[in-house]
Amino acid sequence: MSFEPKIIAFLCNWCSYAGADLAGVSRSKCSPNVMSIRLMCSGGLEPAFVLKAFKEGADGVLVCGCNLGDCHYVDGNYKTLMRMTLLKKLVKQLGIEEERVRLQWVCASCAEDFVQAVNTITNDVKALGPYTQIKIEAEAETSRI
Amino acid sequence: MDDDIKIGVYVCHCGHNIADVIDVEDVAQRARKSGNVSVSRDYVYMCSSKGQNLIKQDIMQLGINRVVVAACSPRLYEQTFQNVLRESGLNPYLLQIANVREQCAWVHEAGLQATEKANRLVHGAIRRVSHHSPVEEQSVPVFPATLVIGGGIAGIQAALEIANSRHVVYLVEREPSIGGHMAQFDKTFPTLDCSACILTPKMNEVSRNPYIRLMTYSEVTDVSGYVGNFAVKVKRKARYIDEDKCVGCGICQEKCPWSTASEFDAGLGMRKAVYTPFPQAIPNIPVIDRERCVYFLKGKCRACEKVCEAQAINFEQEDMYIDLQVGSIIVATGFDVFDPTPIVQYGYGRLPNVFTSLEFERLCSPSGPTGGQLKLVSGRTPESVAIIHCVGSRDKNYNAYCSRVCCMHSLKYSHLFKEKTGGEVYQLYIDMRCAGKAYEEFYERVQGEHVHFIRGKLASIAAGVTDAEEDNLILTCEDTLLGNLINISVDMVVLCVALEPRHDTEQLSHILRLGRSHDGFFLERHPKLDPVATMSEGIFVVGCCQGPKDIPDTVAQASAASARALAMISKGKMEMGAITASVDEVVCSGCKVCNALCPYSAIFFDEISNVSRVNQVLCKGCNVCGAACPSGAISTRNFSTIQILAEIEGVLA
Amino acid sequence: MALITPFQEAAALVREAGGLELDQCYQCGLCTGSCPWNLVREFPVRKLIHQAQLGVIDFEAEYTWLCTTCRSCVQCCPRGVDIIDIMKAMRRVVAETGVSKVPDSLWLAVSNIAGSGNPLGQPAGQRGDWATPPTKKAKTDSGILYFPCCIPAYEPRLKKVAQATARILEAAGVDYKILPEVENCCGESVRKSGHENLFQSLAQKNMQAFSNAGINKIIVNSPHCYDTFKKEYTELGAEFKVIHIVQYLSQLIDEGKLKFSTEVKKKVTYHDSCYLARHNGIYDEPRHVLESIPGIEIVEMPDIKENTLCCGGGGGRIWMDTKKNERFSDLRLQQAKNVNAEVLALSCPYCMLNFEDSLIDFQGAVSMEIKDIVELVCEGIA
Ligand SMILES: Cc1cc2nc3c(=O)[nH]c(=O)nc-3n(C[C@H](O)[C@H](O)[C@H](O)COP(=O)(O)OP(=O)(O)OC[C@H]3O[C@@H](n4cnc5c(N)ncnc54)[C@H](O)[C@@H]3O)c2cc1C
Ligand code: SF4
Ligand code: SF4
Ligand code: FES
Repeated sequence: MSFEPKIIAFLCNWCSYAGADLAGVSRSKCSPNVMSIRLMCSGGLEPAFVLKAFKEGADGVLVCGCNLGDCHYVDGNYKTLMRMTLLKKLVKQLGIEEERVRLQWVCASCAEDFVQAVNTITNDVKALGPYTQIKIEAEAETSRI
Repeated sequence: MDDDIKIGVYVCHCGHNIADVIDVEDVAQRARKSGNVSVSRDYVYMCSSKGQNLIKQDIMQLGINRVVVAACSPRLYEQTFQNVLRESGLNPYLLQIANVREQCAWVHEAGLQATEKANRLVHGAIRRVSHHSPVEEQSVPVFPATLVIGGGIAGIQAALEIANSRHVVYLVEREPSIGGHMAQFDKTFPTLDCSACILTPKMNEVSRNPYIRLMTYSEVTDVSGYVGNFAVKVKRKARYIDEDKCVGCGICQEKCPWSTASEFDAGLGMRKAVYTPFPQAIPNIPVIDRERCVYFLKGKCRACEKVCEAQAINFEQEDMYIDLQVGSIIVATGFDVFDPTPIVQYGYGRLPNVFTSLEFERLCSPSGPTGGQLKLVSGRTPESVAIIHCVGSRDKNYNAYCSRVCCMHSLKYSHLFKEKTGGEVYQLYIDMRCAGKAYEEFYERVQGEHVHFIRGKLASIAAGVTDAEEDNLILTCEDTLLGNLINISVDMVVLCVALEPRHDTEQLSHILRLGRSHDGFFLERHPKLDPVATMSEGIFVVGCCQGPKDIPDTVAQASAASARALAMISKGKMEMGAITASVDEVVCSGCKVCNALCPYSAIFFDEISNVSRVNQVLCKGCNVCGAACPSGAISTRNFSTIQILAEIEGVLA
Repeated sequence: MALITPFQEAAALVREAGGLELDQCYQCGLCTGSCPWNLVREFPVRKLIHQAQLGVIDFEAEYTWLCTTCRSCVQCCPRGVDIIDIMKAMRRVVAETGVSKVPDSLWLAVSNIAGSGNPLGQPAGQRGDWATPPTKKAKTDSGILYFPCCIPAYEPRLKKVAQATARILEAAGVDYKILPEVENCCGESVRKSGHENLFQSLAQKNMQAFSNAGINKIIVNSPHCYDTFKKEYTELGAEFKVIHIVQYLSQLIDEGKLKFSTEVKKKVTYHDSCYLARHNGIYDEPRHVLESIPGIEIVEMPDIKENTLCCGGGGGRIWMDTKKNERFSDLRLQQAKNVNAEVLALSCPYCMLNFEDSLIDFQGAVSMEIKDIVELVCEGIA
């Protein structure tokens, strides 16, 4: 059987989750490998969530927030932007390929952006193959950026 | 796992919507096998009253104390199902929704994969809900007084609306008089009403209304607290005139020997060191401008003191700070006009007879420096004028946005110029934007007055040399409809300058904790559905401080915001969001990392216990602080770290 | 009605070069109004932009070759359209696809550059001749290169500017080298006139030569070399620093390394070149240098600093014929005369060529010394 990755998407409640809902309302089709988890703001994403996902067997993580300037909480997504840069570095140090982590702004009417992000990360992760855990066990518990 | 936890799982078919793609029975069956799940059902429409009753019955009869609903998006029916819990005696936050419609059935093809995903989502919800605990909704009492900052037409309107329903309003105005920009205009488009005739009665009403506490020559210096109960500090600058004694006779202004350029006349006329900005000022009590008064500068004069029969002059007065308590705040600080000096090609400040729109208003006004006569610097009546649109607007080098009122006031100027001089009028425009009730009609009317409309942006103005006693002005511009570069010779040029955010918007935005949009104006909560509220609960923005607009829109916004303030007062309390962050004081290391991150300044540091704390009324629950806390001490209700980690585990299990 | 144009693909290339900003042009005509061409003849810039928007471009029109890349229009365009990019794209399409003809005179200069590394068609071997007496060739392992630009290297009037520069550098004790054997034209006018491939090859050759010689800093006379090295070579990966001679002189003066001994008793007006002032915001340094020369009295013309009036020589125009009554430099010379200047001070070789021509145009009606700033400095330290 072909490799079907498991990918977690963290969506902010205001734009991204609404954008993902809109994809459904407009009956766009996307790959079923991505499961979303709702947060209030992408800026509330704890780095530990991402590491936890890999630890629990995820093959990739997608993070979505409002377009820059549109965050429901003024500037939460700028914090996301900075944290994701750091997080990508950390993830790399842990031996996880950078492509397994993706940041995408999705506005409430940007269903297509969401669908595309979902398909892109699915394809990227499929190309990389399953994620095999290396060092994450120990690190996940301790590292919070 | 906890034995006391009894989870009920309810899988909705949503008719065919979900059931055709996902094997709902399989989902319900598999859920049953998870720990702590006591009951699991699927039903054709969970949101119907029958579906709701299924849940209610289980709660009451089986003692279910956590609920998972696998159905449509929580953005649609979360509240409905929360009510089901509430009505069954359970805290509404002991619920978790798995979105198997919008984010599963509707985006995937029917089959195993879709069902597998649904199972995972439900499983995540089951794990998560085990960690839910009751969340109490909070409300705060509303103090029945309102602060209005800025006394232009926006602030005046808002203050009157609230005062007329017999609630106290504090109206704080920085200048010696209320009135704002509207008081400077001669006529207003599109009806050409005399501005003073419609504004002055409202200003008088403000001064008479017993519910309005008017504070002019004053500024808000500090705001703390939150919706329902703001503590406000107002600085009342010393007027050096006793407001109780002054009778407004004006003799001091007459006798004061020191003059300076009048701000109200846009620098075209003069005023004294002791002055009211204009004759109809409210209050009709002068101020002594300590920057200009020679007594303050050199220690000698006090001429006014000698002539004031009421003995109202008091050089000993000092600035005062007053503390106010209010339930909500309406910000109505208006706009500044763009200074065109940096566009050197236009020669403003260098070439005589190049004026700004605001200056032109004063030249037209009967109370202005020329008594309403249009005059060139030499005193001659101009025979032609060019009115230039979009100066500093719609221009990436200055302000990218459209200032919205200039097309219309340009038309107004065309009419006024024709009326006063009968001369030639050239309008240099890029696009004519006359959207508004009776606006297009006004455009047509002015076209009928033989105005020359030239479509093109002015490139430069040069001083021409003529035989007349003064130089005329030579304009260069492409007439884009002719496709030719043209030169126009006129006596006078009016630059219709952009409406810009007040120069101190930044400062005020810190005091009030308000956001600003890209253009620098205050940011509304929602551009379409909530254009007067802000992200700071209980603070509203009205008129031009929110963005350029005309008087009708300004007044409409002011009335809208006062209705909101009154609604809060009449309800007596405000419900606050239940999803907020809190700090576990045992775990907090006192590092303060979170303090600066909160966009609402809701986190404060308790120096005594050496821990950070979250103000529950200000917090909006974004968890930006939680994500940053190095000790993991911050948790956001209903989106706690443990809950999300459990959901991740469940989804991936 | 569909828009029909004979060269659809060519037009599409131009559209692409204009990017998002091209679409955002709202046809206000400010570019036309601010373009110096319209002081002397018709040049419908806005219309060309609209044609580019719609893809109905007349590649055969003379307009394709007029733009001097002076940047007046770009500087004030309210929608941020890079009009110069669009003009360059039109030329490139002509040069590369042959939809129309490149003007003969321009063609000649470009072929010369391709053949012998300089637009004048002089032998490559003579590039260093300017430096034989009175200046000695600086032979050191210094990382500082003095790059005089093709015109000062070959053209008799401009050679004096190169020589004056060398003299000053030596007086200030600057350890520098010259590389006449290996350097080529920087390629500025080549690129602006649409010959992209030639530009790329010149740039590669120069970058290679500079890096072989261990160069980390280049002093230039020409604002055009300055702009090209600084922006376009850097984009291609060059790592050296570039400094225009007026900036360098201003620094040397501040550091006390350049001392003046002779009064230059003259009334001087400074003409800002487009590429220093408008393209690179350099207009304080040349004035600072002039002020430092004892005896000089500075008078200003009406259009200065970032609002300077183009001499007409940029964008490859220097190699094309400009009709007698259509020369901007004539207007500028008149401005200099109106403020009663005795000397028109410059900092660009193209400007020098144009103003020397204008002086001839006026047939003695204007008496004015045309000097590069370095020549005035040289007089001051003599
Ligand atoms: C030249 C020109 C002509 C116009 N003509 C027309 C017309 O004919 N018809 C029409 O409908 N519209 C017209 N407008 C638009 C009109 O001016 C505005 O719609 C209106 O003035 C907005 O009122 P406002 O109360 O929001 O702002 P403002 O009139 O600017 O009033 C704001 C008030 O707040 C005060 N203030 C500012 N900061 C503070 C502070 N920090 N603390 C305390 N007080 C403060 C100011 O002193 C001022 O009194 C014109 C605009 C211009 C520029
Ligand atoms: S100045 Fe800019 S916006 Fe105006 S016509 Fe020219 S390119 Fe278009
Ligand atoms: S760059 Fe100069 S010459 Fe070229 S179109 Fe613009 S203004 Fe005219
Ligand atoms: S609410 Fe969407 S990123 Fe902050």
